[in-house]
Amino acid sequence: MWLNDHLKQNRLRYLSLFAGLFLFLAPFALFTRVLYLLIGNMAEPTLHTICYRMPIDWLFAGRYYQLIGSVSAYFILAVVILSFFLGPVFCGWLCPVGSVSEGISRIIPLPEKYRVKLKDTNITTGLRYGFIAGFIIVAAVAGRSLVQGLSSICCRYCSASVLQNFSSALFGDVSAIGYWHSGSIIVLFSWLVLGGVMFSGGRGWCLFFCPLGALSNISHKIGARFGLFNTKFDKEKCVNCEQCNVFCPMQAVKEDHSVETGLCVNCLECTHSCAGKAYSYQRGE
Amino acid sequence: MNLKTIGYMTLMFSVTVYSGFYSTDIGKNEIVHFWLAVPAGNVTEPMVLRGIGPPIELSPLVIDLNQRGTLKNLLQPNVEALSTHWIYNLGKKPVKIKMELVNCNIPVKWEVNSNFPYNPETQTFSAMLKPGSSIPNLGIDWIFDIPEDPSDSIWENGVQIVYRGGLRLIDADSGELLTYIPIIIGRGVAALGGASCCG
Repeated sequence: MWLNDHLKQNRLRYLSLFAGLFLFLAPFALFTRVLYLLIGNMAEPTLHTICYRMPIDWLFAGRYYQLIGSVSAYFILAVVILSFFLGPVFCGWLCPVGSVSEGISRIIPLPEKYRVKLKDTNITTGLRYGFIAGFIIVAAVAGRSLVQGLSSICCRYCSASVLQNFSSALFGDVSAIGYWHSGSIIVLFSWLVLGGVMFSGGRGWCLFFCPLGALSNISHKIGARFGLFNTKFDKEKCVNCEQCNVFCPMQAVKEDHSVETGLCVNCLECTHSCAGKAYSYQRGE
Repeated sequence: MNLKTIGYMTLMFSVTVYSGFYSTDIGKNEIVHFWLAVPAGNVTEPMVLRGIGPPIELSPLVIDLNQRGTLKNLLQPNVEALSTHWIYNLGKKPVKIKMELVNCNIPVKWEVNSNFPYNPETQTFSAMLKPGSSIPNLGIDWIFDIPEDPSDSIWENGVQIVYRGGLRLIDADSGELLTYIPIIIGRGVAALGGASCCG
C-alpha cells in the first residue's frame, strides 16, 4: 500500500527518468538527434555524443582546442549551470546511467540489511570529492605526460559506454556486448552490482565515480548559498519517521535529518515520503 | 571539513590515481587504440608522420595476451580487439582507402562506423579522403577470436604466436601500398620486443 503511494507521489520523476532513456540512449537518442539536426551534423548520435567525462578531462588536461565546438562540452556546461539554479536535476531526473542503477536497485528485492548504507555523510562526501579531485589531477598530469605510466581514467572506466552497448544489443546489435575489457568489467560490477544492487538507493556509481555529478553538486552547493533552489529541512516538523533515510537514493540525509547539498540531486523522494512534511524544495538560504 | 572527510577523500583520491596507472597497464594489451595515417609506408618502428595536418604517431602493434588484466583473462580470455578512431590523410593527393588484414588465419569481426561512405564487402571507404583531413566520426574495432587450443598457434622460442600479420591500407584505385602496420598477438610476445615487418 505504502509502496503504491510512494510510486504515485514520485511518478513524475520515474516517468522523467524513463524518458531520459529515450532522450539520450541510441537507437533513440531523441534529444541528441534534435540537437544534431539543428546544427546540421549528420552523424548517428549515441549516449557517447554527450559524453559526461571527456570534456572535463580535456579541460584539465589543457586540450582546450577539443572543447571548441564539442556538443559534449556545451552539454556539460549547461548541466552545471542548471545545477547552480535548480540543483543537479539532470542527475536526479534524467540521467540514464543513474536511472538504470537506481531502477535495478529498486526492482531487485534484496533486503536492506544486505545493502551498503553510509549513514555518515562525512564519509560519502569525502569519497565523492576525493574521486573528483583524483579525476582532475590525473587528467592534468596524464594530459601533460608529467608522470610515466599514468593515463586518463576517462574512457577506460565508462559506465555510459557499457550502458550504450547494452542498449545497442537490446535493439539488435548483439555484437555490441561481444567484447569486454578489464575496465568495462570493473565498471559493470561497480555500477550495477556494487553501486546498484548492493548499494541502498542504487546510486553508488553516481556518488563515487561520476565527475559530472560531483561538479553539478559543487555548483548546486554554491547556488544554494546564494539562496537558489535547494531541498530544505524544517526541524520543527520532523517526526523521526526515517522515511527520508529509507528513500534518499544519494544517501544525502545527515544525522540531524538535514540535507547535504553536496550530495543531494533534488529528486524530492524525501519531500514526498516524509510523514511530517519537513522537506521542501524552494529558494532561500 | 572534518578529519574524517579528509581521510576518506584521501583514500578515494589514492584509488582514483591508482586506477590511472592500472588504466595504462591494461590499455597496452586490451582493446589497444592506435592512430592511422597515410601515406606512412612500412611502419617497422615507432615513428611520427608529418604532412598536411597534425603530426601522427604510428607504431607496430604487439599485443601480449598474458599481460592483460586478471579480470579479462579470467572472464573473457578468448576474445581480443584492436580499435582506431583516426585515419588521417597526410599526403598531397586525395585517396580512396581500402583496408586489409594480412596473413589472417583466425576469425576476425570488423565493426566499422563512420560518417563517411564505406563498403563492408570490400572494406573500402568509397569516397576520396582529402589531404589534411580525417575520416569523420570514425570507430573501427577488429575483434579477434583467440583459439583455445594452443596447437592452433605458431610457436617461436617458446612463445605462442596467435597472429602475426598486419593492417595494410592501400589506395583502392591504384593498389599502391599507403601504410602498413605490423601486428603480433600472442602469449609472452612482449619479450619479442616489437613486431617485425612483413608487409
